[in-house]
Amino acid sequence: MIEIDDLTVQFGGVRGLSALTASLPEPVTGLVGPNGAGKTTLINVLSGFVRPTTGSVRVDGRDLKDVPIYKRAAFGIRRTFQNEQVVENLTAGENVAAVLDNVPTDGQPRRQLIETALEFAGLGTARDVPGHSLNAYQRRMLEIARATVGRPRLVMMDEPGAGLAQHEGEHLRSVIKQIDGYCGAQVLLVDHDVDLISATCTATLVLDFGSAIAYGPTQKVLADPKVRAAYLGVLEETT
Amino acid sequence: MADQSLEVASPIPTARLPLGVAALYAAALVGLYLLPAALSDYWLRTLISVSALTVASLSVSLLFAQLGMVSLAQFGLLGVGGWFALRISHGLGVPFELALLTGGVAAALVGLVIGLPALRMRGLYLAIITLMMAGAIQVLISAFGFPDGGSGILGKSTGTRVMMARPFLAQNDEAYLRYALVIAGLCYGLVLLHVRGRPGRAWAMIRRSEVCAFAGGVNIVAYKVWAFALAGFLAGIAGGLLAGGVGQLDASAFPASQSIMLFALTIVGGAYSWIGPIVAGLLLRAFPALLNDFRVDGNIATMVFGIGLLHALITAPHGVAGQLRDLVGTVRRLLGGKRKAGP
Repeated sequence: MIEIDDLTVQFGGVRGLSALTASLPEPVTGLVGPNGAGKTTLINVLSGFVRPTTGSVRVDGRDLKDVPIYKRAAFGIRRTFQNEQVVENLTAGENVAAVLDNVPTDGQPRRQLIETALEFAGLGTARDVPGHSLNAYQRRMLEIARATVGRPRLVMMDEPGAGLAQHEGEHLRSVIKQIDGYCGAQVLLVDHDVDLISATCTATLVLDFGSAIAYGPTQKVLADPKVRAAYLGVLEETT
Repeated sequence: MADQSLEVASPIPTARLPLGVAALYAAALVGLYLLPAALSDYWLRTLISVSALTVASLSVSLLFAQLGMVSLAQFGLLGVGGWFALRISHGLGVPFELALLTGGVAAALVGLVIGLPALRMRGLYLAIITLMMAGAIQVLISAFGFPDGGSGILGKSTGTRVMMARPFLAQNDEAYLRYALVIAGLCYGLVLLHVRGRPGRAWAMIRRSEVCAFAGGVNIVAYKVWAFALAGFLAGIAGGLLAGGVGQLDASAFPASQSIMLFALTIVGGAYSWIGPIVAGLLLRAFPALLNDFRVDGNIATMVFGIGLLHALITAPHGVAGQLRDLVGTVRRLLGGKRKAGP
């Protein structure tokens, strides 16, 4: 459960987010909007990379202002990156272990947690493969394994579907849908791929110029004329 | 192939050949016993310095290979470690091991202070700042000199200079060389323990990118500071070993330029491999000694180092160690062996 209250982020004279207020309770929530709408800024505020100018964000009732940046992973806020950040000189297993070092294990054996996370992401056989030998798709999935190990609350994905082949995209969809059931974490998904959003997200928040212009069940939101005007002009022609 | 490329990443390779490793240990033990007995006094003293400087180079390669950070102050930290080891050895008459550890801890604390700018800077700026620190250490050391058995805080003697007490187990040069080699081995073990464990993974994340490390929950400040403290500790141990080997230290032997030389030769040797620091130690001390043996001016070594550095930068990014590994791989392929390359 993410509660955003009057959140403003100012970069010099530019407003990344402008008095954004939203409550996101759904297990898989989409976040869409045109370029520069503030999607990545919102994720960065949740990760702690960007400090809000005013306003607050709460995750599961806890004000994130009180959680220092390096403790957010342990608190349960995880993410994947638009440009993947797999550590090339560690194996896939060590990549997951590097995150597991800093998050709660709930007393379970580390080795088992690492293997479960890798298997969940479809990398069960790649545990000892070094990062630099993984292909682009495996790297994406490894980031998901890193983000889901050790009791996450919120997994944020910044354009996970970019540049994937069709069958890879389908596997990604099924994994995203399973995250909530697998580890109980809420998923916040940023992507330009409307198909991916409508296939996975039960609710969607649309941003434009740093403010929310629509929120609700994904199909309804994507059909909203205001949203189409701002963002989905292409869809309007085809329907 | 996987093992081979992993080696590039950590200064210590991930050898997984139990039989080969056992044979290596056995050979090392035999060598440790036989080698010192076969050497002249001159070469014994040279190799004692080599083992100390191998540890010093290990400290440089730890920072460079694990975090991509350049510290040009490590040779100065040798001086700091040596100073404290000498002071406590002369002042309190403690066993050598305790003096060595004190030198290590003192240099770790100074190394930690030197590392503080690294929390905000990297690359060239960090290199310059650490070089200035090395300069500061040089000024202090040449102003106050090393303790040599006198009284007072500085421990300067007005009469005859007193030699540092050697370890109980290793009074003569032969035994001290074995002792120094074992200490160097322990330092490698300490680094291996870090690299293969939690700190190594955290350092790898930081080196990948700081956002990656933050998203993975790594406490970047703590792990950077820890790396600098550990590197300082190693440099301090190297300084203490050097002090024990010679019995005293020369105040003019720790200029800032030596720190640059140490860094350059670590690159030439190969910062990413465990062999690299050994090559660097040999180049720094054994190579000039070899030239002297052939009655060639040892200063020519500096020119050779310059050429070696150019060579490393242009053709061998992983230094001599990387080339050795490639050579071993080529030989194995030529012999038709299908075993994995890597020692």
